[in-house]
Amino acid sequence: SIMSYNGGVVIAMKGKGCVAIAADRRLGVRGHTVAMDFQKIFEMGPHLYVGLPGLATDTITVAQRLKFRLNMYELRENRRITPKTFASVVANLLYERRFGPYFVEPVIAGIDTKTGEPYICNTDLIGCLNEPDDFVVSGTCVEQAFGMCEALWEPDLEPLDLFETISQALVNAFDRDAMSGWGAVVHVIEKDKVTVRTVKTRMD
Amino acid sequence: MSMMFAPRLTEAAAPTTHAAPTWSPYDNNGGTCVAIAGEDYCVIAADTRMSTGFSILTRNYSKIHQITDKSVLASSGFQADIRALQKNLDARHQIYQHQHSKQMSCPAMAQLLSNTLYYKRFFPYYAFNVLGGLDSEGKGCVYTYDAVGSYERSGYSSQGTGMQLIMPVLDNQLKSASPLVLPLRQSTTPLSEVEAVDLVKDTFASAAERDIYTGDGVEIVIVNRDGIRHELMDLKRD
Repeated sequence: SIMSYNGGVVIAMKGKGCVAIAADRRLGVRGHTVAMDFQKIFEMGPHLYVGLPGLATDTITVAQRLKFRLNMYELRENRRITPKTFASVVANLLYERRFGPYFVEPVIAGIDTKTGEPYICNTDLIGCLNEPDDFVVSGTCVEQAFGMCEALWEPDLEPLDLFETISQALVNAFDRDAMSGWGAVVHVIEKDKVTVRTVKTRMD
Repeated sequence: MSMMFAPRLTEAAAPTTHAAPTWSPYDNNGGTCVAIAGEDYCVIAADTRMSTGFSILTRNYSKIHQITDKSVLASSGFQADIRALQKNLDARHQIYQHQHSKQMSCPAMAQLLSNTLYYKRFFPYYAFNVLGGLDSEGKGCVYTYDAVGSYERSGYSSQGTGMQLIMPVLDNQLKSASPLVLPLRQSTTPLSEVEAVDLVKDTFASAAERDIYTGDGVEIVIVNRDGIRHELMDLKRD
């Protein structure tokens, strides 16, 4: 399966005035692990991040093309993009390739700097948006991730609690998936700062 | 990769062509089973929904079967095969009781189940089993199986359509230290019976949210030194 060729998982969660987005760090070629420091989460604005699990080549390409579209937006509009609008940019980019898609299923997490409102969403590989109020998951261990998030998430978590929750959800989910793991990176985005942490995990 | 197509075979090169099979002897009736072993108890639980395809056949079907005073089998998969398997085990247990004047212990039943499943290695029982109970010393034990009888004793397990959702949650709450760490630690959980039952209820509530085949209700069976107790909890019916 093309979506599980490289492996990987990304989760994002909403908290009280904050969002968190986390991903594993593995890059594999089927069963063979090739890298343990592969970046899947990309910064698209000071409080806007996108995670791109799926085929690694498309992870890199979509990240680059999105950055281009984002830069053009900022040049034309002379302002930062809002997360909701950015989600539409992502959806549009993916649907343009409706019959020969990019094999990524992005996860977007950000805070609207004007209103302070946290925002998360994910899309399928052809750009169908899903904007829930709690959490989003994408990658090779979605079932496991859904189970963990459903059990651990509760509304209005403070940033530190949100960090703990998303870390436990991600790590325990990818520990049950052979194609994901080898370390985890977690971004916690608040109105005034972003904290990036790497989590110590089983390295297998 | 799936994008590449194999070169077409001409009729001469491929004289026999198999049509795609239209009838399958198997069906998946869905559902999830969980078991947790404690110091002196065992909790076995399964949802009560029976489905076929996207339809619900009944909201009130028991996937749990008590075989002996100390062994309880929970199975998800193809319920017709599971019913046949349960009857098979009951018959074998009756014979054992006639020959030995006592009931089978849970570890013995575990081995019997494995052998019974492997007997049909080339036309398997479509059954994903979890066997729970108390061993001869009164400690909780949980055995988990694949469809052809490969099994392992562990401190906890889940099987069925919600297995992937539930297993990491159980890992997070119950995972014991690696068996490579000495001194050897028990595989049973240090949780109390009430805590284990609460954990099971929470995991089923979570699984029912995201797995369409899990829901309607949870049947929980608790085996301890005082006997066997049943509990029922409602789940989302959507």
